[in-house]
Amino acid sequence: MLFHTWPFLLFLLVVVPVFYALRHTRLWIPWLMAASYFFYGWWNPYYLALVFYSTTLDYFLVALMDHCPRGGARVDVIGRLTRLRFDDRVLQAAFLISATATAAAIMGAVLGPPTLRPTLAVLGVLFALMAVGALFSHRRVWLVISLVNNLALLLFFKYARFAVENLNALLHGLHLAWKLPDPAGLMPFGAAYLLPVGISFFTFQSLSYTIDFYFGRTDRERNFLRFATFVCFFPQLMAGPIERARHLLPQFRQFPPIRRENFTDGLSLFLVGLFKKLALANYLSFYVERVYDHPAAFGAPALLLATFAFAWQIFFDFSGYTDMARGVARLLGFQLILNFNNPYLATGLGEFWTRWHISLSSWFRDYVYIPLGGNRGGAWRTYRNLFITFLLSGIWHGAAWTFAIWGALHALGVMVTRELERSAFYRDRVPKLVKQLGVFSFVCFTWIFFRAESLDDAFLIVRRIFTAGWSDPQIPALLLLLTAFVWLYQFLYESRLRPVLQSGFVRVGLAVLMALYLFLFSSGGGAFIYFQF
Amino acid sequence: MVNEVRLNGRQWVIAVLLIGLAALLIPRLWPRVERFETGPDYRIPYALSKDYWLWQRRLNEAAGPRNIVMLGDSVVWGEYVMPDGTWSHFMNQEAGGGDRFINGGVNGLFPLALGGLVEDYGGALHNRKVLLHCNVLWLSSPKADLSATKEEKFNHARLVPQFSPRIPCYRADANERIGVLMERNFGLIAWVNHLQNAYFDQKSILTWTLASDAEDPPKYLNSYKNPLAQIRLAVPTAPATDPERGPQSPRHQSWTKTGGPAQFEWVDLSASLQWAAFQRLVARLRARGNDVFVVLGPFNEHLVAPESRPGYVQARDGIAAWLSAQNVPHLAPETLPSELYADASHPLTAGYALLAQRTTASPAFRQWLEK
Repeated sequence: MLFHTWPFLLFLLVVVPVFYALRHTRLWIPWLMAASYFFYGWWNPYYLALVFYSTTLDYFLVALMDHCPRGGARVDVIGRLTRLRFDDRVLQAAFLISATATAAAIMGAVLGPPTLRPTLAVLGVLFALMAVGALFSHRRVWLVISLVNNLALLLFFKYARFAVENLNALLHGLHLAWKLPDPAGLMPFGAAYLLPVGISFFTFQSLSYTIDFYFGRTDRERNFLRFATFVCFFPQLMAGPIERARHLLPQFRQFPPIRRENFTDGLSLFLVGLFKKLALANYLSFYVERVYDHPAAFGAPALLLATFAFAWQIFFDFSGYTDMARGVARLLGFQLILNFNNPYLATGLGEFWTRWHISLSSWFRDYVYIPLGGNRGGAWRTYRNLFITFLLSGIWHGAAWTFAIWGALHALGVMVTRELERSAFYRDRVPKLVKQLGVFSFVCFTWIFFRAESLDDAFLIVRRIFTAGWSDPQIPALLLLLTAFVWLYQFLYESRLRPVLQSGFVRVGLAVLMALYLFLFSSGGGAFIYFQF
Repeated sequence: MVNEVRLNGRQWVIAVLLIGLAALLIPRLWPRVERFETGPDYRIPYALSKDYWLWQRRLNEAAGPRNIVMLGDSVVWGEYVMPDGTWSHFMNQEAGGGDRFINGGVNGLFPLALGGLVEDYGGALHNRKVLLHCNVLWLSSPKADLSATKEEKFNHARLVPQFSPRIPCYRADANERIGVLMERNFGLIAWVNHLQNAYFDQKSILTWTLASDAEDPPKYLNSYKNPLAQIRLAVPTAPATDPERGPQSPRHQSWTKTGGPAQFEWVDLSASLQWAAFQRLVARLRARGNDVFVVLGPFNEHLVAPESRPGYVQARDGIAAWLSAQNVPHLAPETLPSELYADASHPLTAGYALLAQRTTASPAFRQWLEK
């Protein structure tokens, strides 16, 4: 169910009033959870099992972690193994259940139906790890299980085929006869091997809860329904923003206050998001697809303009989605974090990443870059950590070398701008506009790798931009005009003219124009780009 | 705050009022600024067959109290003939000239879609005389009846019932179906659809700016055009000469020159979606106070293979029996001479002339007309 479709409007027209009607009962959380599961199941009901599994496991892992002493404690492992002598009954039960489940899963993996064997074997390993966790009663073990489980889900559904294909190519290159089987064969009951929509988002969100709890940055959530609603909250389930437990979970502890601003702000955000998606992103996508699907057929101007168009398409598409998500959450009384802040006005690449997909970049900063050492330990280590973080961030977007290169290019860009910022000349003498255009141009260049169908296509596009002839790009003038208008709006918004744009007259005028434009010009459109991640 | 197109309550009220006003007024005022030249024998141009807003406007403007609206599919519209060779043209001629009989046919229509057209765009059809054509072709196979289970793409899908009754071969997703209901109920969306049909080659305005020709490499002819300049404030008219229609057209020839008798898989009336839709349509028109006269066929019986004939006779007689039982004045004209048909149901120009003669000569029709 996409935000810009009629079924979603109907869904919302049911969910919001019932949600408000339940405000004096304890049913509003189950209602939100049911609505979220319905929303997610609309895509593919089988995916629900995955969300439920990830949620349940993380909920119990944190509960078990909570039963382990902070800082660890001496444990009589032999006594626990031989006489089941546990200080904590919950850990004792966890050990017994996990050990029994491990035995059952291993038996199933050996004797069960062939289509279930791989799944049961994996479950066997998981239960065995849980039994070990209970035995040693160490918080870190539960954290590791959560990390392994969430990342294994992500790796299997998102990267397994890519890894197998590359390894098979390598084995073939080495003239070795081995060939790894396609991961589709590991699916239980022969189910289709498809990437579950939004898996990168909900696994990261769930994972952030276990990590934050481990480090004592958030409290344990004892109510399962509340936690499940946090993981699958429908406005941000598919494509973020990736919320942190300490920001969103407390909002589910009591019914949000009903204010007029919920509706006015929510509708404003939704209208802007709808406009970005339907009027701008979808329009730009037509031109981008035309050129990027056959890059060899187009000259340098078309390739340049298509790249420029894609830069804006992905911004409008993703920030439009986020605006709508935030708007819908606002209608329900919840606040989601800001995910975009005029990123194409950044004066440095580091700043760009504080304005673009903020929830993801801050996730990588907090859970990858800082644990790696961050900027502690000198320039070399800082740049190494930056490189690893950006590379992972690139790969997070998809299983393709193009994404890895995209991430690596951004890492290099951040390093270069960081060095440039050290020079007084660059910092003080180079005009802001030049820096902004420089960053924008570099980001556009990196988008080539992000958007191209393959690595070959990406290099072909780069080569043709510099070598192909200058032919008429045949880009619709209206498309350029609209994009230029939005860019100008952003520049003006960050200038002294902001009060003019904030005046009631301009706001009402823009809202009316956007609404009428949507009626007059829009042409429906496909899913959001970030759903594939 | 980043998104500062953020309206407060008062501003939203003003914005909603302005949007509502525009949505209400634009479709109503548009006919005053857009020229719509009709004249005698006017029919909705083929290229605008899916412009239902225009059909509505045509009925609103042309259907005077004395006029008789002829409703139906391409048999009424005149698939193989020019406007001066249509059934309505000859009906007017038989009536001594004038423009009393209005061609309300739409190319590619069928009862399930005609029902939707009348329901949602035929507001002008009340307390009038309506001549309704019933084409048994739509019962000639499960595919034509739309009761086949295999997915089919068909014309005028935006007019058929979207949820109930269920059309098994229609597989639009929920979004498309609800979108259709919105279009039917919000004048502004239907008006936008009119603009797209009339000025933008049936495309959305954005898609139109990206349209290409069929050459290789393609040329994108509208890239640098101003879309708003396309809206010329005059409804496009049908071309004066149409190579696809009229006596000069290679298509305008007897079916005997292009094929032989055919087998049909007639659908039983009790199970037919199209027949049920036709029954509902008759009831709806009468409920609005219209005086309905049904002309059944004449189907090209010469084309029906002997094995398929019993099914045809059963369908035709069943329809006539239902019309009689409902006291709907009707006429089932004798089939026309073989050479006057272009295919199973469409007469040629001379066929329409003869059909008009037979219709006007029928006592049932005369009685209905004089009532």
